[in-house]
Amino acid sequence: MARTGWTSYGLAASMTLALALGSTSALAAPFKCPKVGGDFVFGQEANVNSLDQMTSTTISTRNVAMNIFEALMSRDESNKPITDLAESVTESPDGLVYTFKLRQGIKFHNGKPMTSADVVASWQRYKEKAIERQILDNVAAWTAPDAATFVVTLKKRQPTFMEFISSFSQPIVIVPAEFKDDAPQQLHTVGTGPWELVEFLPGSHVKLKRYDGYVPNTKYEERTGFGGYKQACFDTVTFRIVTEAGARVAGLRTGELQGVEDLPFVSVADLKKDPKITILPLENWWVHIASANNSQPPTDNVKFRQAVMALLDMDEIMEAATDGNYKLNVGFQYPHQATYSSAGKETYNQKNPAKAKALLAEAKYNGEPVVLLTNKDYTSMYNAAVVMAEQMKAIGIKAELKVVDWPTSVQMQGAASPSPGWNYFFTGYGTQPALGALAVMNFFMGSNPNYKPKPGHEDPVLKAEWANMNEKVDPKERFAAFERMQARILDQALVLPFGSLTKVQGVRANVKGYKPFRIPRFSNVWFE
Amino acid sequence: MNGPDTRVAAETADDAPLEEEFEVAVRRQPPWRMTVRRLFRHRLFLMGLGLCSVILVAGLLAQVIAPLDPTKLAMRFKFRAPGADGYLFGTDNFGRSLWSRVVWGAQLSLYIGSSVVALNAVFGTLIGASAGYFRRIDNALMRINDALMAFPAILLAIAITAVLGPSTFNAILALSIVYIPRTARIVRASVIVLREMEYVQAAVAAGAGHWRILRRHILPNAMAPLIVQLSFLFAYAVLAEATLSFLGMGAVPPTPTWGNIMAEGRQYLVEAPWIITIPGIALMITVMGLNLLGDGLRDVLDPRLRIQQ
Amino acid sequence: MWGVVLRSILGAIPVLLIVSLITFGMMRLIPGDPSAVIGGLSATAEQLAQIRRELGLDEPLAVQLVKWYAGLLQGNLGRSLLMGQDVLEVTMIRLPVTIALALYALVLTLGLGMVSGILAALRQNTAIDQLAMVFAMVGISVPNFFLGLLMILLFAVKLGWLPTGGYIPLWEDPVGWLRTSTMPALSLALLQMGLLARITRSTMLEVLRQDYIRTARAKGLPRRLVVVKHALTNALIPITTVVGIIISLSISGAVVTESLFSLPGMGQLLTQAVLNRDYPMVQGGLLLTTTFLVLVNIFIDITYALLDPRVRYERA
Repeated sequence: MARTGWTSYGLAASMTLALALGSTSALAAPFKCPKVGGDFVFGQEANVNSLDQMTSTTISTRNVAMNIFEALMSRDESNKPITDLAESVTESPDGLVYTFKLRQGIKFHNGKPMTSADVVASWQRYKEKAIERQILDNVAAWTAPDAATFVVTLKKRQPTFMEFISSFSQPIVIVPAEFKDDAPQQLHTVGTGPWELVEFLPGSHVKLKRYDGYVPNTKYEERTGFGGYKQACFDTVTFRIVTEAGARVAGLRTGELQGVEDLPFVSVADLKKDPKITILPLENWWVHIASANNSQPPTDNVKFRQAVMALLDMDEIMEAATDGNYKLNVGFQYPHQATYSSAGKETYNQKNPAKAKALLAEAKYNGEPVVLLTNKDYTSMYNAAVVMAEQMKAIGIKAELKVVDWPTSVQMQGAASPSPGWNYFFTGYGTQPALGALAVMNFFMGSNPNYKPKPGHEDPVLKAEWANMNEKVDPKERFAAFERMQARILDQALVLPFGSLTKVQGVRANVKGYKPFRIPRFSNVWFE
Repeated sequence: MNGPDTRVAAETADDAPLEEEFEVAVRRQPPWRMTVRRLFRHRLFLMGLGLCSVILVAGLLAQVIAPLDPTKLAMRFKFRAPGADGYLFGTDNFGRSLWSRVVWGAQLSLYIGSSVVALNAVFGTLIGASAGYFRRIDNALMRINDALMAFPAILLAIAITAVLGPSTFNAILALSIVYIPRTARIVRASVIVLREMEYVQAAVAAGAGHWRILRRHILPNAMAPLIVQLSFLFAYAVLAEATLSFLGMGAVPPTPTWGNIMAEGRQYLVEAPWIITIPGIALMITVMGLNLLGDGLRDVLDPRLRIQQ
Repeated sequence: MWGVVLRSILGAIPVLLIVSLITFGMMRLIPGDPSAVIGGLSATAEQLAQIRRELGLDEPLAVQLVKWYAGLLQGNLGRSLLMGQDVLEVTMIRLPVTIALALYALVLTLGLGMVSGILAALRQNTAIDQLAMVFAMVGISVPNFFLGLLMILLFAVKLGWLPTGGYIPLWEDPVGWLRTSTMPALSLALLQMGLLARITRSTMLEVLRQDYIRTARAKGLPRRLVVVKHALTNALIPITTVVGIIISLSISGAVVTESLFSLPGMGQLLTQAVLNRDYPMVQGGLLLTTTFLVLVNIFIDITYALLDPRVRYERA
């Protein structure tokens, strides 16, 4: 278990081993709620528009839906793929056939038992409607030989298949077969998870209650990641939308809210003094990024991009972006991850105006405007852009801010290359770095939004390494390809990773068992 | 923030011609001198003038009295309370001087407000006078007018700036589009009444052209309600611009506008309340000053309207 | 009388037609589209194109417009792109929130605004008058978002008297509703209170100067009776017209207030819909809201015409 994450995964042998361990541990006593009852009110920052995870990838949707729905596979606490609704999964020796055995006795919130027919219907809906449906592109067919078995056949060997289908960015949640034709955003909210929906009023709140017919996964004795042995201890969980940061702070103080996400860092010092409040930092929430537009001058010039890379003082940028709650971070993975690599670290945080000026001269930069495209919906992105603009102005680059709302900025930078009107686009890589190297490198391939070469000028190095990352059977080789890809991206200054942001969550001190995770988990959490 | 309640004013302006007063004034002395004298005896007007002068002077002299660049970052000095480290109004989360930002913000608020007023004066008069004078196009113009006025004002402004993209110029444009129908209605109401006056009919009979009649006989007499409307409009425009900026749809940051400053300070409400309080008070002083000026102008220029306000 | 009603309603039809065209055109001119919102932070270009296709956003504008009108004729306002729910259905869930808030604000406005206006008029040029008018002036000069933030700071954060936000429906828990709605209603009502106080005062002063009031006083009728029976009833006529403006102001003000206090009403719904490019929601929601406002104004015009025989009904 020294190497967790995708590098250890992909071999059928390791999976069988994990399953064997799982079944022995079932003999020990599983988690039992020390205390049952109460309404847990969680102050959520962003509005929830839909609970249909297949057709909405926003974090606010997942915050709620991950507690209601479950999938065959998930990730454990250290991001390793694990079975959840599946009892076991086996890979054929040629790597083309995956056979899932379903856990028995699982019932949906509407009382209907879950069978392989529901799995087939759910995968079908995912393949037709899900935003990330391309993860099933390599699937040739699936069948359900009996009520408890689901078999997937691939077109060609794909060592990373399990990594994709266990992803929590858009999990293939299992829903009753009768809902397979539900329109996008309108999926009936009926899952198998420990929580069922009571009430959903967009813009205001979502209320969930304990699902009494929940069957926990006895292969585990504790919650792990999004899977494991889950128990609902509260009677109800209420997600309340509280968009004002100050109001979330006040709500936590008064006890009106028992848990809160995204506390402003300036309030943290003061909140820590309150014995009734537990502050829980969630490190590495996202990597702050500015991606360069390679199809527009002057950022089409590698020397210019490198000049900016040489110039930037990441401490100052991250300080402003996060009010001081950050960690410097090289590249696109975090140090605690097995897939972390410091490849390309010499390019990062150079703070070298002299070198920058020399590179500017080499690039023959003569005062063209450089547009920093940012938005106000994500304050930290906006703040980072303000500071970066000031740093650039200081050495004579004519930096201009363009502040629009998030949908507009996404559309502007997403326009087909050459996409006009901007040079640096401010964003954050959140879910992808957490999912692993493969997910985050996906940002640079094809017509993906964060890499915009002029047509016909795609970087061959990136292309080759991406193929290696996907197709090499040996995890070590895949990792080496990732390291080379990261180094190349940083050397060419295709994107500027500023550092990683820590998101601060907080709960009332009488809330026990709450452990911050990418998406808040309300199972195995209780009031003392 | 919403449109001035011009509906009321417009409806009663129908029977409020001012030609009597005007005629008398013409004979004795230049009318403006009398008006000014009466204004300077009006207590509320003077109070308004005082408040507005403070903001006006601050705005005009921004470069002199606040030489520190309002967009200059000084991360080491962030969140200084007012008075600390020589920052009169304190600093924000980037360590920028709030004194500079608020004073420069005054400049921008006044610029936007007066631009909206100017555009309203020109286009509101043009549209209102055409509709009121040429009855043939009245119906069509007023239907479009009514449609624009049927939208909740701030939502219309939000939608327009969403179309045009946020910028100072576009905020001016959006607010003008929102308020011009209201101004046009007031002008139209006066013109309709004046058109039927005997002296206008006499001019028509004497063979004077439309343009001459409008310019010489109708518009000068329709000025009083328009001026009153514009002074209130200034207040609404300043307020609405701040609201737009607060919602992130106004002038582009880091340009300091009061709405921008408050929007950025919003998340530090508890720890650094001065970031929102100071521009909020500045905004209040401005709007109050303009409203008082408007009250004074209304009392002096257009006493009949007093009933309705 | 019925002629007036008929003419008002017929006059409203072209207005609403223009409103619907403006709304449709404006929404399509806005850069950015709903796919970016549905796709979330890290959607790829292909995913965005795919979402657009599924929502029918790649069809020509004329086709989209015809489809929308065809739907309208069948009473179908379409589905929210973001929430997947029927526009009419969502509106019917959200509208009561705004109406309850607006009514609360209206009660505060009438209670505090009108009463202080009357008092000020009756005690003209006294301290009471001046105090009332200073409050009215402050009321019309404070931006409601500023007032809202200050109230959160004072009543919720510092004093802890009222919750910072959250919404409890009136019909579920009236006390809870009162607790969550008081700050928003106050911040919404202050402007209107100021307006109404000023209008009431000047109207009352005008009426009190009229001959019949003097006659009534001369006849020896008690002052209170004169004020209530003669002055107030007559002053109410012009005040009626202001109610229309107040309702319109409430809807407009709700845009900011509801966002600030996280109330799930129409204001928040429509702002979010504009920002998220939820075309059917904005089109349908704005059409319903403006229709509502137009109807209110027609109603008030008619009431006004009925109340005051002097009013020549000249507008067509």
